[in-house]
Amino acid sequence: MTAATSTASPQRVERLRLLVQPLVVVALVGGVLLWAFTSDLDSIERQSINASALASATWDHLVISLVVTGLVLVVAVPLGIVLTRRWARRAAPLFLGIATIGQASPAIGILVLFFLVSGTEGLWAAVLPIAFYTLLPVLRNTMVGLQGVDPALVDAGRGIGMSAGTVLRRIELPLAVPLILAGLRTALVHAVGVATLAVFVNGGGLGLLIDTGYKLARVPVLVTGAVLAVGLALLVDWLGAVVETYLGPKGLR
Amino acid sequence: MRRITRLAAAAVVLLTSGCGLESSFALPFDVAPGSIRPVPELAGLDIAVGSKDFTENQVLGYIAEVALVAAGADVRDMTNIQGSNSARQALITGDVDLSWDYTGTGWISYLGNTDPIPDERAQYEAVREADLARNGLVWLDYSAIDNTYAFAVTEEFAKANNLRTTSDMAALITASPDKGVFCLETEFVSRNDGFPGVAKAYGFDPGATEVKTFGTGTIYTATSTGLCNFGEVFTTDGRIVALNLVVLEDDKKFFPRYNATIVLRDDFHTAHPQVGQVLAPIVAKLDNDTIRRLNAEVDVDGRDPAAVARDWLVSEGFVSLPAS
Repeated sequence: MTAATSTASPQRVERLRLLVQPLVVVALVGGVLLWAFTSDLDSIERQSINASALASATWDHLVISLVVTGLVLVVAVPLGIVLTRRWARRAAPLFLGIATIGQASPAIGILVLFFLVSGTEGLWAAVLPIAFYTLLPVLRNTMVGLQGVDPALVDAGRGIGMSAGTVLRRIELPLAVPLILAGLRTALVHAVGVATLAVFVNGGGLGLLIDTGYKLARVPVLVTGAVLAVGLALLVDWLGAVVETYLGPKGLR
Repeated sequence: MRRITRLAAAAVVLLTSGCGLESSFALPFDVAPGSIRPVPELAGLDIAVGSKDFTENQVLGYIAEVALVAAGADVRDMTNIQGSNSARQALITGDVDLSWDYTGTGWISYLGNTDPIPDERAQYEAVREADLARNGLVWLDYSAIDNTYAFAVTEEFAKANNLRTTSDMAALITASPDKGVFCLETEFVSRNDGFPGVAKAYGFDPGATEVKTFGTGTIYTATSTGLCNFGEVFTTDGRIVALNLVVLEDDKKFFPRYNATIVLRDDFHTAHPQVGQVLAPIVAKLDNDTIRRLNAEVDVDGRDPAAVARDWLVSEGFVSLPAS
């Protein structure tokens, strides 16, 4: 992917990547769709490979990924901020431990267990366990980012009369943003991958194609589902890169 | 960039893993001959027995293993391979010498046909001929175990709506479409011998029903807790007994036949015909009631599939427990 010469600056490589990655995704997905639709499909394959089935599976997959991200964002970032405040530092290991457990357990286990215990199905049965599963990178990066802010800067802010809230808003958060966004990007890509398992609890998504294709030994169905999921992950990763480039503090670009 | 591709690929691998088949496990217990006598040609012969990843196939795998041990063979336990395709691949490549498969699965999944053959013997013969000619695999004689699809409902729902057969189901959802809520597996949704075919055969409109997709294992729970009215189940599953589900009779004989059959590579079968001869009387003894009971012992009582297989063989007199 890094088509850079040794003299190119890192920024230039990054810019080039921002340009090339979406093109690669379009080429990849377009190529596979072209192949799937033009190959000789039997009636079983046609059930899965048609415009409406593909669109609805991809849409479901996207919705799961986005809802997970939103959920992780509103839970993990505030929690990370709270856990780095002086009065709550004692509780940090506990929450990090819980999030680690979430990430260390097998995703399919969490999904099915949640279904069995809660009795819910559909979007939320998929979203809640996947969010629990992807919480850790965001939480950890938020905490690390905030802890990495030079204490001298915080002191200086307090010294010129800022309140603690203002220091957080105007000094700590802007400096921690690159790391927080990096964590979010990781989480999102994770979520796209794990969302393929939503199919086991009536969550839909591209796992439908992958599971059907695998079980019935229909390669076009399996490959189409898998490549679409990869394409979605790459696209989401690219969006994350764009946001990182333009949301970080200007001085650090 | 490459790392990310790997991450997404990991999710796929999760669903399709079945690699690294290395095991040297023998059975965790000893058995002695019963009506199965030691066969000189099998003495010390190394046989790897495989199975797929669900209870019934594991129990069947262990039944073959215990019987072959009693006959004097040196059995390697390779049961619980994830997924039908991986299990079959292991047989083709020689990682495994013997495994149980189902006639309908062979016909539709492996041989790529879209329409099943209604008669069980005709279906078996068609698979046997095609798989031998195309892939060099031998299907021994089929058993009476027919692990096919059916719809199941809770006892309560069956009573309230007077349901006994699949025709009753079709009549009910035609009369009140809001009751047509189904839990189905991914593959069932798109198989010709699955939902589209059932709807056509029994004359109801699949478009008017609500379909929820679940994993194979979660359907039983979802059906019993009322997330859907009709669950797609396997006729030999032990959880039917455990959760008190009522299986609707396939009165129009629509579903394909999935007779459990032992499959071997042709070269292995030709070199060791005794393997099939030892197992033939056992295959003849198996049927749906028996296997459903054995499945329930594993899935419901939490027993070990190997012990369940051994105890059944002992109770039928095929093998005996060693005098300790």
